[in-house]
Amino acid sequence: MSSPISPACARPEPALSRREVMAAGAAGLALAALPASTQAAAPPALAELITRVTEGAVPERSKITFDIPQLVENGNSVDVAILVESPMTENDHVRWIHVIAEKNPFPDVARFHLTPRSGRADIRATLRLATSQKVAVVASLSSGGYVMADADIVVTLSACIDGG
Amino acid sequence: MTSASRVVATALLALAGAAGAEEIKPGSAFLSPQMQRQQEDEARNPGWLWVEQGEELFSRRDGVAPTCASCHADPKRSLRGAAARYPQVDAAGGKLINLEGRIEQCRVERQKQPAFGYESQELLGLTAYVASLSQGVPLSVSTEGAAKPYYEAGKSFYERRQGQLNLACTQCHDGLVGQKLRGDTISYGIGTGFPAYRLEWNGLGSLHRRLRACSLGVRATQFDYGSDEYLALELYLAVRARGLPVEAPGLRR
Amino acid sequence: MASFNARITMPAEAKAGDIVEIRVLVRHPMDRGGQVDAEGRVVPRKILNRLTVIYAGEPVFRYDMHTGVSANPFVSFTTRAVETGDLLFEWREDGGATFTRTARLVVT
Repeated sequence: MSSPISPACARPEPALSRREVMAAGAAGLALAALPASTQAAAPPALAELITRVTEGAVPERSKITFDIPQLVENGNSVDVAILVESPMTENDHVRWIHVIAEKNPFPDVARFHLTPRSGRADIRATLRLATSQKVAVVASLSSGGYVMADADIVVTLSACIDGG
Repeated sequence: MTSASRVVATALLALAGAAGAEEIKPGSAFLSPQMQRQQEDEARNPGWLWVEQGEELFSRRDGVAPTCASCHADPKRSLRGAAARYPQVDAAGGKLINLEGRIEQCRVERQKQPAFGYESQELLGLTAYVASLSQGVPLSVSTEGAAKPYYEAGKSFYERRQGQLNLACTQCHDGLVGQKLRGDTISYGIGTGFPAYRLEWNGLGSLHRRLRACSLGVRATQFDYGSDEYLALELYLAVRARGLPVEAPGLRR
Repeated sequence: MASFNARITMPAEAKAGDIVEIRVLVRHPMDRGGQVDAEGRVVPRKILNRLTVIYAGEPVFRYDMHTGVSANPFVSFTTRAVETGDLLFEWREDGGATFTRTARLVVT
């Protein structure tokens, strides 16, 4: 674990993990059915990455407070705090929160599944960001709708180097 | 002495004090407020994962006798302040050793076990654990007697220009403190937070690992982990940090 | 390979209905795959890919982790105190290994 890691960090994600995440999300089911060739194209734009997890819906920009440093000190570990306004009742709650980093080798970063028993939709986590980019957060609501927020961040040291 | 000149003299004394030891701040002073809070927070600072490992090893049996705890009973009290006195000259061997060296010595000589090896996760864990027992205790290393030549060697190392960039430690760590170097802020270059969790390492590392990175940075000779050169430098850095509290496990960029 | 250990921080006690914050720090390199180590070998992907938390009979939180989650990841979330009992934390690692821990919440 303490061994130095070389800068060779821009390798493509193994295909297995991509299939795994696609199979994991409900939205992924539709995509998994697409021919493999469409997935091998240039990295999709953020809007496309978002609609992949929302079954095509364009999320409304509301209800989410997304806290991430604008200037990231080290991309190896970036603190994010996500708060979604929601009563978190049986009828009205956040089902999941999904984080997308468009320029990461693998843009689907994390998904947090919540329930009415969560009490609040209030998450903190440490992520890994490859480079300066836009990071988006999409929340799926029990009503069937989606909300989102995003932030532009600058990474001064990416998650790719080790000066020793 | 007139009252006016007394005021001036007092002011000058205060200035001299401010320019001396009082001025040196720990590495954590150069972190963002968020990282400073995280360092303090045992639920958030990943260094405590290693402290926890060290605490387990400290009293682990599996054939090892005596355990660390057999000799160092009630370590929270018996070892409080110990880390603040390292590096020190080992009375038996007459050589300078740091905390890592002392732990390895116990392991080999008293426990009759193979050394963990510098920078092994086990030694990092134990070092972090023992250092954490001194959190808040001011550094108080000795430079007297047998330690004196090591102190002189460390000071000379710190002040000597080295490597292809022809830089001495002091040029950046006294002359350019607070300025930016790549993504980081230059600090006074003292080791009160080590072993520290560095984001760049994705893990805990020793002061000597950090020093090796410094040597590499100025394209100078990288000395071995536990080498006499880095031990002497570690002693000099600890003298610079005299009076500052042990912060290990620190959190660093 | 470093040992797995987890630090789970939460109140030991809560009143029924209170929302408690649970903070979890876990030791794992979260190898994202494709890096070259000091000996020149390619490190395969090996990450914790999921944390599930079960409390009072049902999952109350799940964290799906991909390669964009940091080494030694931290996460915090909330749950409503409903009854005295253990929260069961289960991590799943690539390759199928699982690690579990429990933490007790006394509800008054």
